[in-house]
Amino acid sequence: MLLEPFLHHCRQQPEALALVESDRYLSYGDLLARAQSVAAGLQTLGVQPGQPVAVHLDRGIDAVIAVFGVLLAGACYVPLDLKNPKPRLAFIVADAKVHAVLGLGDAPAWLDASLWLDIDACSEESPKQVETSADSLAAILYTSGSTGQPRGVVLSHGAVASFALWAADLVALQDKDRIASSTPFFFDLSTFDLYAVLGRGASLYFVPSALTLSPSRLSAWLGEQAISGWYTVPSLLAFLAYKGNLSETPLPCLRFLIFAGEVFPTPALIDLAAKLPRTELYNFFGPTETNVCCYWPVERERLLADENIPIGLPAVDCELHLHAETGELWVRGDSIASGYWNQGRLQPFLNGEGWYPTGDRVSLVDGEYRFHGRLGRMLKCSGYRVEPAEIEAAVNAMAGVRDCAVVGIDDPAAGQRPALALVLESVTLAEIRTALIRLVPSYMQPSRCIVVEELPRLPNGKLDYNQVRTLLEAQQ
Amino acid sequence: MKEKLKAFIFSELIYHEDPASFGDDADLLEAGLDSLGIMRLIMFAEKEFGVTLPDTEIEPDNVNSLNALEKWIRQAGAGQ
Repeated sequence: MLLEPFLHHCRQQPEALALVESDRYLSYGDLLARAQSVAAGLQTLGVQPGQPVAVHLDRGIDAVIAVFGVLLAGACYVPLDLKNPKPRLAFIVADAKVHAVLGLGDAPAWLDASLWLDIDACSEESPKQVETSADSLAAILYTSGSTGQPRGVVLSHGAVASFALWAADLVALQDKDRIASSTPFFFDLSTFDLYAVLGRGASLYFVPSALTLSPSRLSAWLGEQAISGWYTVPSLLAFLAYKGNLSETPLPCLRFLIFAGEVFPTPALIDLAAKLPRTELYNFFGPTETNVCCYWPVERERLLADENIPIGLPAVDCELHLHAETGELWVRGDSIASGYWNQGRLQPFLNGEGWYPTGDRVSLVDGEYRFHGRLGRMLKCSGYRVEPAEIEAAVNAMAGVRDCAVVGIDDPAAGQRPALALVLESVTLAEIRTALIRLVPSYMQPSRCIVVEELPRLPNGKLDYNQVRTLLEAQQ
Repeated sequence: MKEKLKAFIFSELIYHEDPASFGDDADLLEAGLDSLGIMRLIMFAEKEFGVTLPDTEIEPDNVNSLNALEKWIRQAGAGQ
């Protein structure tokens, strides 16, 4: 169901260019043939419709072949962040109860090799046709979990398809478009690249990773490849505006830029808007559970350096509700995720009336929503979701730690960074930090640490996180 | 200059167990300096040393070690 628009283009224009990665090109017809062979390989392994299959590949052509292969087999893909420490990857593979892991070459040492399928070793066979419906599971995207472990958000075919259709219409995607892609597939932003772009017969150009370190080369690449649109994160666009040599590189083909994942500092957005005067800009907003629930087409004349931009209007077919007492944003609609994945089972997360409470504090002014931060403890660090509970669980499990607390510290560029306060018995801070590197990803590593005699508590005995933050902010 | 850069990098941009042992030629990109870190480092260096670092010179080769950074920032006119 989700791949139907893509399959339509495979029949209509098999020779058209689907994917470009450096000097590697793949047509729609060849992408379909490769994905079919992977689907047949999964079926031979015994993978059934609805079962999770992990994808152990970095973003790029091979990962698209794997993801589409999983979907053609009617199964559900679990994209792995290969930069994660091994224990975290092993946890995700075990929690998802995956029935296979797709990759290239040999299985990594930490994995049960019987699950491994090398996509290059799949023979050219046609898979058995599998029917999928709107409720069928398409993907499980793991994010940081408030329970102390990574948590999978389950997206259905219908949810992703409704977002992709809406987004493709919004920016009027056409088969002649050349869209840049820089988002790893474990982020929900990638659903635009995979299903909106390839569902409209356009071409997807993978941004070479090295270019993100050199903004003037990035802008030159955008120009040379005649890129017409790109959905990415604000930090990369801010770097492009600041040092991308855009005055010498006008980018006349670039029709639109969409950004999401973190707040775009308005001065940097003003800079970008001025340097790309003819490019339409869109702010997308929503936690992974809702994919995109709000959007704001940037109105240049309304940008004020000292004011955050709105998150705007309801996106896709979302119905939004502002909880009167807490100011929390509630969302319902077809594009909402099906629930969380827990030990191989789907746990719905909607409340009694069918709403998903986002945990985001918003206001509604003149018909536009504005974001004012999180109600809970979740942090946003360089675009990644970080639940302090996940870092605390990892630290508390170490021998010699009596107590710990993680809070967010504001950071001018990363948004927030985790900071850690500890009560230690028989272990040093250096030992804790060394151990933590092996347990949680780099964006979760505390930027500051402090060792205290006791953690500050409120009169009712609960941890006083505000006081913990004050202690950590004072430590410079 | 190198000490100021080093202090900024290891307090604000990347975590290292023992910054004192991090050599002047050691690879900062391998140590975790990413695009966001490079942007912040450039903002810091331009302000701190009163230079403008040209857009077209932001390359991995100019930012991948403390020695490379110092050479690049001095070439841009710092300390003259």
